Amino acid sequence: MKHTSKIVILLTMAGLVIIPAFGKNGQITCAGSTTVLPVAQATAEAFMDINPGINISVRGGGSGVGVAALQNKTADIANSSRPMKAKEITASKSKGINPTAYPVANDGISIVVHKNNPIKNLTIAQIKGIYTGKIKNWKELGGASMPIVVISRDVASGTFEVFNEKALAGAKVDGTAQLLASNNAVVSAVASTPGGIGYAGLGYVTESVRVVTVNNVMPSESTVKGGSYPLSRKLYMYTNGKASGDVARFISFIQSHAGQEIVKEQGFITLN
Amino acid sequence: MRNLLLVLILSAILLPTMLNGQELKISGEMWGRWTMDNAMYKNAAGTYESKLAKNNLSLERGYIGLESKFSESTKARFTIDLFSTDATHEWPSTYSDAVQPIDSVSAYTQASIDGAGLKIKYAYVDFANLIPIPEQTLSIGLQKVYFGTIYDWNYSLIGKAPTDEYKVANSADYGVTFNGFIPSGYGEYAIGVYNGEGYKKVGKSLKDNTELAFLANLRLTPIPGVTLGGSYMMNTVERDTKLSGDAANKKYEKQSLMDGIARLAYGPADLWIEYITKGVELPNDKLIDAGDKDYTSKGMMIMPIISLAEYLPVDLQVIGRYDMWDDSDKPIKVGSEIKHPEMKLNAITLGVNYNIMHDISNVPQMQIQLNYTDKKYSADEVYYADYAKGYKDSSQIMMQLKWRFSNTIN
Repeated sequence: MKHTSKIVILLTMAGLVIIPAFGKNGQITCAGSTTVLPVAQATAEAFMDINPGINISVRGGGSGVGVAALQNKTADIANSSRPMKAKEITASKSKGINPTAYPVANDGISIVVHKNNPIKNLTIAQIKGIYTGKIKNWKELGGASMPIVVISRDVASGTFEVFNEKALAGAKVDGTAQLLASNNAVVSAVASTPGGIGYAGLGYVTESVRVVTVNNVMPSESTVKGGSYPLSRKLYMYTNGKASGDVARFISFIQSHAGQEIVKEQGFITLN
Repeated sequence: MRNLLLVLILSAILLPTMLNGQELKISGEMWGRWTMDNAMYKNAAGTYESKLAKNNLSLERGYIGLESKFSESTKARFTIDLFSTDATHEWPSTYSDAVQPIDSVSAYTQASIDGAGLKIKYAYVDFANLIPIPEQTLSIGLQKVYFGTIYDWNYSLIGKAPTDEYKVANSADYGVTFNGFIPSGYGEYAIGVYNGEGYKKVGKSLKDNTELAFLANLRLTPIPGVTLGGSYMMNTVERDTKLSGDAANKKYEKQSLMDGIARLAYGPADLWIEYITKGVELPNDKLIDAGDKDYTSKGMMIMPIISLAEYLPVDLQVIGRYDMWDDSDKPIKVGSEIKHPEMKLNAITLGVNYNIMHDISNVPQMQIQLNYTDKKYSADEVYYADYAKGYKDSSQIMMQLKWRFSNTIN
């Protein structure tokens, strides 16, 4: 019993010994949202150009993967296209991780249709009708007689979660919808499908598709910043506690004028 | 065979519904284990010596689960529990009112009957945000029991959560719960009503329980790395009066179960502390006067976990665990007196986990676990002679290969 007590005391003490989580000097790891990915990549390249001693690795996987990586201490920054959920924050905090959000850009989830589709505007109710399978033909919306091909992001993506919350009010996407793993894939699929409809972050919209207004509001800098565009959102980077060292410098750079110029170049909307 | 049939029927009903969901995930894990036990036995000369009690390989546990998201606010989970040992725990046929178990553990742990088993561990539906409370879920069906550490025990060591190990609460049961998270990550809560008999009992093990169990659980994380919580469960065992003849049932128990936890996490260190009390009232059984068989068992666990992944090229964890379970309050009648002789277990476990095959979120898909456990029972020799002389003292080495997978298939 004496030995037992000693071992327990030793292990307990070892467990409580304060071993600081070492920041790896000169190395920053970002993981998470595929929407935030181009912003993170482009700003990382620019930041590394002016800070040659710093190496930033950026990978996607989705907002949930980024949050898990921050919790598992394998990423310094979790990129997320949605705010963290209370469940994720609770799980993080109980592990001693204090998720701290840094907005890095504004975005409007754009509703895109095929270039030749004459539909110019959709209401939130109509978008919900389309994605839940209640509206099946463009004719019902004043368009040509053509079946609607519903294209969505996979349900693990942060973009899907924001779209689901803001446009569908949590309703189930129709089982016939194509679920694709990236914004690029959605835009490409809509571009090649005459009856197609999809949604993607502003930065991914190309001339191969047409953006429709939502409740007669076009996603733009003023409507997204002003909040009048119904599908506007912020893009975030999360760190464990207040960012410090190279991580803080990197995030400050993204939020700076130079960083926000890159955000704009990537097709997203600046913070201020 | 009956279990298998039940699982197949339920699967046939549930699967088509689940496959129609917005998203369908399949997940599973298997625990292949080598166990070697040494325990004290009485030899022909009447003295005690250590003998090899067990040296075997087993598929100790396997889980196959389906999780279907019907919409963003409704999802269902269905999990099958497989095992090649620890099969159906029937009460022994010789058990009667006249035979009292030495302790609560020995009464339940009977030898394997089937050699393999199959049970449904979870089958429930979650309805999120049904009432306007943020991050709140109504769960209906065979689900987790939100008591102590049992509902989020992730088997950092091979052994079970203390409330499971000492038969205080079941890891899953049929019930209805409201559970959720406090905004801004300040904690979680659950209140619920359960059957109170758990998911494992079948056939003769089921005791016609007529009273439901009530549970409340709260965990608070006031600052990152510090979690404090408590659970309370009111449960009963068996029915008050027998169906035939209306006679009082001596085995009828009213249980008042309490659990307090503290978790401290900082950097690579994660310390769990749990304190449990199990108050048992036996209104229909008495030694001399009413209430004199009532008792309160208590226990404690301290478990420090150190993760070395940040400092080594491999993902290693070193874990310790100290358990104490004290049944000394159980009364026995000696002549005309009621006594409460000592009857206590002290156990210590040391373990190493080697985590490999990490997924994109750095969660290991494979884990090799090595554990050594030393159990010492101390008891008042006058009243529990065998117990005190080491009847149950044992040491155990276990090595386990655990692998898991999770994929979205629809």
